[in-house]
Amino acid sequence: MNPEVGRRLQSRRDFLTTAASGVGGLALASMLRQDGYLAEAAVSDDVTNPLRPRPPHFEPRAKACIFIFMAGAPSQIDLFDEKPVLLEQDGKPLPESFTENVRFAFIQKDTAVIKGSHRKFSNHGECGMRLSELLPHIGTCADDLCLIRSMHTEAFNHHPGQTMMNTGVMTFGRPVMGSWLTYGLGSESQDLPGYVVLTAGRGTSGGASNWTSGFLPSTYEGVLFRNSGEPVLNLNSPADLPHDCQRLGLDVVRDLNQMRYEQTYDPEILSRIGSYELAYRMQSAAPDLIDFSDESEATLAMYGVDRREGEQWKSLRSGGPDEFQTFAANCLLARRMVERGVRFINIYHATWDHHDNLDKRLEFNCKMCDQPVAALIKDLKQRGLLDSTMVVWGGEFGRTPLGENRAGFREPNTGRDHHPYAFSMFAAGGGFKGGVTYGETDEFGWNIAKDPVHINDFHATALHLFGLDHEQLTYRYQGRDFRLTDVAGKVVTPLIA
Amino acid sequence: MSQVISRLVLGILIPILSTASTAVESAAVDFVRDVQPVFVERCIDCHGPETAKAGLRLDGSAAVTLGGDSGRVIVPHDSAASELMRRIRGDVPEDRMPPKGEPLSREEISAIAAWIDAGAVWPAEADSTEGTVSDHWAFHEPERPELPAVERKDWVRNPIDAFVLARLESEGLTPSPEADPITLLRRLHLDLTGLPPTPEEVEAFVDDTSPHAYENLVNRLLASPHFGERWGRHWLDLARYADSDGYEKDTVRPYAYRYRDWVIDALNRDMPYDQFVVEQLAGDVLPNATVDQKVATGFHRNTLTNREGGIDPEEDRSKIAIDRVNTTASVFLGLTMGCAQCHTHKYDPITQREYYGMYSFFNRTIEQDIPAPVAGEMEAYKQQKQRFDAEVARLKNAIAEQRPALEERLPEWEATLELPENGWQVLDADSYVSAGGATFTELDDQSLLVEGFNPLTDQYTVVTRIQDIGIKAIRLEALTHEDLTNSGPGRAHNGNLVLNEFKVYAAPIREAHDKTPVKIASATADFEEPEHTIDQSIDGDTNTGWAIYRELNMNEDRTATFVLEEELGDPTGLVLTFELDQRYGRQHTIGRFRLSVTKDDPGSLSLPDDVFAALNVPAEARTDEQKDVVLDYYAQIDPEMSGLMQTLAAVENTAPQPPATKAQTLADNPEPPKNYLFIRGDFLQKGDEVPAHMPAVLNEFVPRTEDADRLDLAEWIVDPANPLTARVQANRVWQYLFGQGIVTTPEDFGTRCEPPTHPALLDWLATEYMARGWSTKDMIRLIVTSATYRQSSDSTPDLQERDPMNRLLARQNRFRVEAEIVRDACLSVSGLLNRGVGGPSVRPPLPSGVADLGYANSVKWNESSAPEKYRRGLYILFQRTVPYPMLMNFDCPDSNTSVSRRERSNTPLQALNVLNSPVFFEAAQALGTRIMTEGPADDEGRIRWAFETCLAREPGDAELARLVTYVNDQRALFESRNEAAVRFAVDGDPETNPEHEAATWVALARVLINLDEFLTRE
Repeated sequence: MNPEVGRRLQSRRDFLTTAASGVGGLALASMLRQDGYLAEAAVSDDVTNPLRPRPPHFEPRAKACIFIFMAGAPSQIDLFDEKPVLLEQDGKPLPESFTENVRFAFIQKDTAVIKGSHRKFSNHGECGMRLSELLPHIGTCADDLCLIRSMHTEAFNHHPGQTMMNTGVMTFGRPVMGSWLTYGLGSESQDLPGYVVLTAGRGTSGGASNWTSGFLPSTYEGVLFRNSGEPVLNLNSPADLPHDCQRLGLDVVRDLNQMRYEQTYDPEILSRIGSYELAYRMQSAAPDLIDFSDESEATLAMYGVDRREGEQWKSLRSGGPDEFQTFAANCLLARRMVERGVRFINIYHATWDHHDNLDKRLEFNCKMCDQPVAALIKDLKQRGLLDSTMVVWGGEFGRTPLGENRAGFREPNTGRDHHPYAFSMFAAGGGFKGGVTYGETDEFGWNIAKDPVHINDFHATALHLFGLDHEQLTYRYQGRDFRLTDVAGKVVTPLIA
Repeated sequence: MSQVISRLVLGILIPILSTASTAVESAAVDFVRDVQPVFVERCIDCHGPETAKAGLRLDGSAAVTLGGDSGRVIVPHDSAASELMRRIRGDVPEDRMPPKGEPLSREEISAIAAWIDAGAVWPAEADSTEGTVSDHWAFHEPERPELPAVERKDWVRNPIDAFVLARLESEGLTPSPEADPITLLRRLHLDLTGLPPTPEEVEAFVDDTSPHAYENLVNRLLASPHFGERWGRHWLDLARYADSDGYEKDTVRPYAYRYRDWVIDALNRDMPYDQFVVEQLAGDVLPNATVDQKVATGFHRNTLTNREGGIDPEEDRSKIAIDRVNTTASVFLGLTMGCAQCHTHKYDPITQREYYGMYSFFNRTIEQDIPAPVAGEMEAYKQQKQRFDAEVARLKNAIAEQRPALEERLPEWEATLELPENGWQVLDADSYVSAGGATFTELDDQSLLVEGFNPLTDQYTVVTRIQDIGIKAIRLEALTHEDLTNSGPGRAHNGNLVLNEFKVYAAPIREAHDKTPVKIASATADFEEPEHTIDQSIDGDTNTGWAIYRELNMNEDRTATFVLEEELGDPTGLVLTFELDQRYGRQHTIGRFRLSVTKDDPGSLSLPDDVFAALNVPAEARTDEQKDVVLDYYAQIDPEMSGLMQTLAAVENTAPQPPATKAQTLADNPEPPKNYLFIRGDFLQKGDEVPAHMPAVLNEFVPRTEDADRLDLAEWIVDPANPLTARVQANRVWQYLFGQGIVTTPEDFGTRCEPPTHPALLDWLATEYMARGWSTKDMIRLIVTSATYRQSSDSTPDLQERDPMNRLLARQNRFRVEAEIVRDACLSVSGLLNRGVGGPSVRPPLPSGVADLGYANSVKWNESSAPEKYRRGLYILFQRTVPYPMLMNFDCPDSNTSVSRRERSNTPLQALNVLNSPVFFEAAQALGTRIMTEGPADDEGRIRWAFETCLAREPGDAELARLVTYVNDQRALFESRNEAAVRFAVDGDPETNPEHEAATWVALARVLINLDEFLTRE
């Protein structure tokens, strides 16, 4: 296809509905064909519905992804990558060979000392995965987890780091992974967006740029679901207008648009009609989505939807009250969205940026996320959805084995600085191999000792599991074919079940 | 044969042979005979004038002198050190050159080695280095094309139509009929001002029966102040305009709007495009640059700024410069230079070296915020200042008149004074050192000015000797100075400082090494932050300290007094060592300071030093200066005078502030850093030093002086010989009027761009543009008066099949208006729109919770009140991390990079936005009220009135009938649901205007603003 035509077709991002869901969509499309207005081929569904499900390059393992983004960067040293040497040498400087030519964000290099982790690690599952005591629930899923201890990135600061983890490069303006996937595969959902974003706690460094479609049409942009008020911005009719009144108005809008179409033959009008109909369906589908009344008590308890963080944590809350509840509800919502055909769900939580008071703050964050994340994995599994649903948990980089001694800090050496050279993240389901611990770091956890996995590699692997060749999923922009993996990335086959 | 063998041996042995021994043999090598043919046959396909892979060309002496992206590949006299040899020998098989075909023969390899070892001389007669050549159309100057012959000459209104028609005729297509006048009216209004025509404007146009009615309309719209807003917004997309820094902190830029105002104004004045370019790229470098010309350089101040903790400032600086290069190339030249940042461009003939040649212009650029008062601001200030000065002068006169009487009362007061014995004794430092690497300068008043390197943290050590006893207290003065940022007294960006610990050690002068700490009993300061008190500087905790920030007047001298636990002294002399520990970070260190000691009780030292010194001189022996010092001081406490003095002080406190408005501008760095190529684009890996230059494939770059600056760059861009500039901008003007460009990739005119549909038309427009003195309004006038533009946008099944993208222009295009215009149109028909032009950005209502998405509550959205909140969309404050949702919903660019064409999406979120959001609902309510108050009384009349107000045209019969049915149905429904009607209506009146009636018209208004046609320019 002529790339420019292709681009424009894609950019129509018409939500014109397919036959199964459209009110009048089928009638209009067939009318077009009858009139000979458009040839069969020209009214391809690509023109009328850019979110129509599209076949992948090859047989996929995964159909949906839930990416739980722990913005701020969790400490792998205290959660996933056990390093007894650090405790033995706690308070001593790191051998100079490690920190030579190394940048820090805040650490004062000359007086920096090792900070050991007091967290106890133990074996989990039949695979014997070593995990920290802070993740008891997630530990019970060990045989489903694919833990990567050898992730690395170039980004050093939060916003570029989050951009890197989401778009494969540090510069702005590129589409995020969720946008690439909905661009490549469309959406199975008839009445919800293909890519949804959920947040708990305070805002992330990247803000809305974390779910931007970049140069891709905004059809593929993440739609933010809100934690209070209407679940999607402008979802509720104004002044509580009754549904029949709303319908009456939409009917006349549709009819007049159709009359205009008959005058102008502009297919955009058909798309507009489709958009308005989908909007109307979203008005009832979204409230249904967030209504948990059809969930069993056991399910609600498993996710911990009613948990309260307790007053003792008040000083540590980063995002106001009810952070525990919101996060748990987001995990459950994610499952409900997967059931409804949503392609990609982001769950954001900030902040894991523990430059000081790490022990307490990490404990708080883990208490918040451990139970609901484990519940999500188990719930998907018991419903037979885990095989086709990729759950990813991680941040934009890791944290230093050194304690942070930032100048002017009240309590030095109680936190850790940014560490891009080696960090951990895990995935479950969607074709990732369970019970696997991949990659190794050196004895100090500073550099990768074995099997490095760059973010581009991780993206290449994830796309592969969705049946997409990361080198083939491209978009022409400003004279260049862009891809999620930029100019690098290789599929890491040992991670694949 | 022997020669061949010896060469062969040479080729293999060179790495271990000395150059001296090879020189003998190499005399036998003839470059033209033995070497050049190899280059020509095997290398220059990839390393020649058309393609210079890895930036390397082997077709001329530049091969030797410059090399490629990663530097020289030939080291004369040293083939062993020459990368070229490593490649052709294939030391690493994957790196072997040439990569295809047979490797070079041993003879060829040894000939090249021998040539290098002989000095790699490229004989001048064989050095035919051509400029970079390309047969790509866009890299050649546009030539004025002949007008093509056409059959339907009557259709041609101006030359544009000839080009378009010729192509249509060759394809066997005919143009569409002219759109009806109302459609044209609405099209022109939306295209030129972004506002739909009001009913009055419709009427005026319909009533204008002159043959020039259309041209009159065009001229009126081009003269409208809203023209600059509409076309300014197009330009702001290219300029990646935003009102905040971006990144995590995303600080608001309160004066970014000064640049936006400049753009609007320049377009309204129809500033010639060449001047428009020069001022934005180099306004500050122009001779006698005006404030406005400097404001124009705000174009490149729209780059993102990272204030996140722990960033490398040099990395951020290079990122910004790179963005400026890429944006300059894509906006003005339609070139995608970005690729060449890391390696020589794969498709376009642009080397990495040339990229950094252009980088040089921005590498030597710094950012400067300058005072830039807006119209009226300066005049108002001057008036206030005049009044203020007069009042101060009046008071001072009154004071002067009383001075003789005051002088008479002075001795009386002096007699009552109990002067302390000694006062403060300023210490003269013997030595001083900054642990952080700053330098000190002793000033005349014995204070130390801290200069030079400004470390994040510092520790000052000052050593001094005194020979005295009975010292009771020490004083530290932190002093302001004009060389410090904001005058100091600290070295932090705002003039603050943090003194974490103040320590004093004493030692007998003969045993200076035997230091003992001097115990400090208490400390006081004339000002301290509530959380950072002076006590914290003597608490032994280096994490706490004394700081002096306050919102107003913080940049003043500050004094801290330390009372000693025991009197200090030694008649034989003491060495005092002071340690000022300043560890807070971010350069919160003292910028100028002075140390003093006293033998008096510090509580008795209330007189300023100079007054105390003067009073210690007998009255008759005082100098005039000392007399004034004493008298000035006394005036403030003299019972008769003090009232007047207080009044004066109070008035002086109300001194009008000079205009606060600033502008973000560029300036030249007086000490430009060296300019290097970054290997693989990594700012830490510096390659060759590269001088300022421009891609050789384009017009010749001739700077005014050897030291080329941004003005040279700008002049080169607008040079009529530049093949790209006029084409790129003419193409964009076309795009804004047809929905797509003649080149559909307006940011990329390189070899991979979409070829122009009408190349001759593009060149005609480009040459016409320059011939008309780069007048953008002229070009717009020319295009919109063409028959091509005036065609109907309606399609037909036949056209749709033959030319679905409408590249041949057998009709106009029909497209949804941009985000801002969606808003403006709704506010306009509702009567709510505030049509004010220019000024600071506004914050219309933002749905609750949206601002929380910014990092750590960094985004504060103080909602603007009416009428500000009803301003046009382009004035909405653009906060990069939390962009206004409605704008993003309708494809407003995110402003992180330059955008030359917007997406036009069509999504259910847009539908929800116009249907349900408070802003649009408020507009519907206001329009509903207008229908009832301004429209006629009957249903059909009201429907017609509302329809025409929104769409300018009359409804068709079927449309009217459908709307009548709707109004009846809706009214009936509201009648049965009065509560819903009450909520929906603005305010009904049970007598004259019951709620269900009012609600029905709001509902109709809501239907109309949701019609596809309302959101579309046809």
